[in-house]
Amino acid sequence: MNNFHRSVLRLLVMLALVASAFAVKIGDPAPGFTAVDSNGKQQRLSDYKGKFVVLEWHNQGCPYTKKHYESGNMQRLQKGWTAKGVVWLTVISSAPGTQGFVTPTQENDYLKTMNAAPTAVLMDPGGSLGHLYSAKTTPHMFVIDPNGTLVYQGAIDDHPTSDQGDIASSKNYVSTALQQAMSGKPVTDAATRPYGCSVKYRD
Amino acid sequence: MLALAVASAAQAPPQHARVELLSRQEAASAGTDLELGVHFALDPGWHIYWVNPGDSGQPPVLKWQLPVGVTAGALEWPRPERMQPSAELADFGYHDDVLLPIALHTGKSTSPGSSIDISADARWLICREVCIPERAQLHLAVPVAATAKLNPQSAPMFARTEKLLPQPLPRGWKAWVQSGKEDFKLTLATGKTITAAQFFPLDPGQIDNPSPQKVHPTVTGFTMSLKKSDLLLKPITVLRGVLVVPGGAAYRIEAPVRQSVQ
Repeated sequence: MNNFHRSVLRLLVMLALVASAFAVKIGDPAPGFTAVDSNGKQQRLSDYKGKFVVLEWHNQGCPYTKKHYESGNMQRLQKGWTAKGVVWLTVISSAPGTQGFVTPTQENDYLKTMNAAPTAVLMDPGGSLGHLYSAKTTPHMFVIDPNGTLVYQGAIDDHPTSDQGDIASSKNYVSTALQQAMSGKPVTDAATRPYGCSVKYRD
Repeated sequence: MLALAVASAAQAPPQHARVELLSRQEAASAGTDLELGVHFALDPGWHIYWVNPGDSGQPPVLKWQLPVGVTAGALEWPRPERMQPSAELADFGYHDDVLLPIALHTGKSTSPGSSIDISADARWLICREVCIPERAQLHLAVPVAATAKLNPQSAPMFARTEKLLPQPLPRGWKAWVQSGKEDFKLTLATGKTITAAQFFPLDPGQIDNPSPQKVHPTVTGFTMSLKKSDLLLKPITVLRGVLVVPGGAAYRIEAPVRQSVQ
């Protein structure tokens, strides 16, 4: 690595650190990003201006993620809300060699097997998108309104367990936030403690 | 499907923890409290979580089945350790070995010669690089005698655990919080300077767990800056948690929060 590369790398590291120091706050503009999806396509948040966007942090090996996929709960949410025009972006920030890291092909196979239906899956093995949003857990959910404002962040629902049996009696915070925001109401529970496994960052 | 096969492991015997009910007393006596504990012995490198797990994880949950007339108090939580798997998050929990004490009120109807049969359905999340939900059915029968008697095997562990349980603030000590724009400033006044301390919040979503806790010693104690959580959207009136000071003593605090005049 020559000096130029080294200083570029240092700059990138600094940018990453600066980015992680920014707070992701309800009512603030959601940080913009560009990421590559599991089909190799570039996805920009700005492409979806005018639409509601859901971000779902994902790790297919995590028991809390499995709770919502093996029960079909996450797929129902994905299908239900994308049918209403919501953009659903699943994000995988697991670093190579950690739980939940998958190749694009493996992820597309998983989507097929699980009958999952996000708009796209963003591959974030370097963790930059995760750090940008301070994503802590899988799942960790974010809802962005058509103006690009963050209107919800936190847990998927109000039962912080890995037990599928709890889903039926749970209040789903993402659906509630979308319903309220779509009808022009303030989101009552706009920020909750996300629950699940830690995101398996490289650093 | 592999995923389903792994999921059913939750019903299998625990893989990374040996969990048992222990009694501090070899024999209980009618009308006095029985000191029980749930003992977790964890495989090296694995951890379980405190009552507030921090940014990820989940605390152990116990469902008790007790004889008629016997009631359980609240589970007690020794001071946790802080774990920081990445810049994004900090968790609170235990490695290696932990005893969670709980008092059982035996009632007057228990008679010498009988026994108190206790069962608990225990569920906990255990993590190293990955997390696994584990579960076990725990049982213990404690004989009832005319007078209570310590169990020589388990009593030392209860005694060690007592030193790790958060205590009320000593008389004359005072804790309060000034709420700023980005931070809570927690002040502890004890009468003498304290150079280091660690705060574990009891309620989630109030402070930003991974942020460094900056301690400024003062003549009478210290002030500590705690960054507010992004999840905190409304002012709070009390900051509850556990303060651990040098030497390892742990104190429960419920510090009133004053809003700064802008």
